[in-house]
Amino acid sequence: MAEIKGYNMPDELYYHEEHSWARVEGTKVTVGMTDMFQKEAGDIVFIDLPEEEDEVEQGEVCGKIQSRKWIGKLVAPVSGEIVEINEDLEDDTTFINSDPYGEGWILVIEAEEEDGLASELGNLIHGDAVEDFIEREVKRAEEEREKG
Amino acid sequence: MSEYWRLFKNLSRSVTTAEGLAMDDTLPRSVAQNNSPPILHLYTFIPSVIVGKYQDIETALKLDRCRARGIEYNRRSTGGGTVIMGPEIVALGLGINVDYPGLKKGVGGVFASLSSVLLRALRKLGIPAYFQPKNDLEVSGKKIAGLSAAAEEGKSLLFHTSLLVGFDVELMTDIMNTPLVKLHDKGYNCFSQRMTTVREELNQDVSVGQVLELIREAFEEEFNIEFKEDTPDAWEDGVIRRYVEERYNRQEWIFSHKHPRARMGVGQLKTKGGLLEVYLSLSGASIENVLITGDFFSTSQDLHRIENALKWTSARKESIEENLTSVWRQDMIYGLDVLTLTKAILTAKENQVRL
Repeated sequence: MAEIKGYNMPDELYYHEEHSWARVEGTKVTVGMTDMFQKEAGDIVFIDLPEEEDEVEQGEVCGKIQSRKWIGKLVAPVSGEIVEINEDLEDDTTFINSDPYGEGWILVIEAEEEDGLASELGNLIHGDAVEDFIEREVKRAEEEREKG
Repeated sequence: MSEYWRLFKNLSRSVTTAEGLAMDDTLPRSVAQNNSPPILHLYTFIPSVIVGKYQDIETALKLDRCRARGIEYNRRSTGGGTVIMGPEIVALGLGINVDYPGLKKGVGGVFASLSSVLLRALRKLGIPAYFQPKNDLEVSGKKIAGLSAAAEEGKSLLFHTSLLVGFDVELMTDIMNTPLVKLHDKGYNCFSQRMTTVREELNQDVSVGQVLELIREAFEEEFNIEFKEDTPDAWEDGVIRRYVEERYNRQEWIFSHKHPRARMGVGQLKTKGGLLEVYLSLSGASIENVLITGDFFSTSQDLHRIENALKWTSARKESIEENLTSVWRQDMIYGLDVLTLTKAILTAKENQVRL
């Protein structure tokens, strides 16, 4: 479990720069939103999701996430078929805030085959690069704050 | 040399909801796909009411009253709650890249940057407004403008504002279905305590055109840019037409069922400070709106601050306590504490019914 600049960013996960995360088990990829996203966005009040059996491409916007008056994007970190949606979020979307990597998981994508998945995972942020990613995001926000 | 942004300004007539919203949706797309610099759209709507993207329109509005009065209704593509629009209310749409220099980063940053532009415009009029996190502009505890936004294609975003120059309270109470209206029906004068307008603050007849001009100037100063007045190009005209036909004139969009369940509840509690009455609107598991009334002592500014801290937050007990604690000062409501107020809110939650 890695904490970077006050944000929890588990080591084993892969991250898309639009703040979705991917947990890989074989060809099944569980997807959610990062701790940094949920802290920035505030309490999530609605999530607009695709249907099970929909096909998504890596980088495609496959859902919208509303917090208060902001609507953010859920970007598919990998390509494949959506095989499961977290139905508990229908009752309480704030699981995305209270437990972003646990009960707040959003959907599961089944990749077509392992080689293709492995190549797509190479496009995501993982390992040592995660620290750079978060530091970059925090620094950008700080720079703008100083200018403002 | 200053950079140029484009300005779509429409003052010659008020536009329909489909026209105005379709043009706004085109702004971030044009920034992302059509190589356009940021575009500001300043205009007014015909008398209308617009719900947020994920609101249940059938519970938010009295649709029969809208139809009887000829008030158009529609759904926008950004978040938040219901807004009444009309010729006396400034509508603002901005399409901009999230990485634009000078625009603060993150959700909070975007709202902070763009609200500071509007505050600058209001200060030019002599109105000491301030940003009430996360999404309102207020004057002495009363809301004068609401802000909302959505992340759009690529790195672009759409930012929406409605700024009240004048406002028809009677119309609002007749067509909206909020706890505020329920209270109004019981004789509470809750609107004047919670909302204000440019004209009310200045006690004079300021024109919408004058306010639009000040907003334009404020953007130029804040971002160190100049505007070129422009109209949509052929590509943009095509996108606008498609949004009108495929989105804003379609019943499937206006009556979309993609929304959390809307419920409302009332909670009463006898306390040391007096009778406490809480009106709660719930959107799924979140608080959409809360109104605190009763025969206790407090100021409207403090009450609004407390209510605002709870809007669009989780309705879980721990979350309510945490959010109340974040704004609480001793005797904010005389004789009451966070735990008692939380209990009254949870009572309202337990009493929730479908609207």
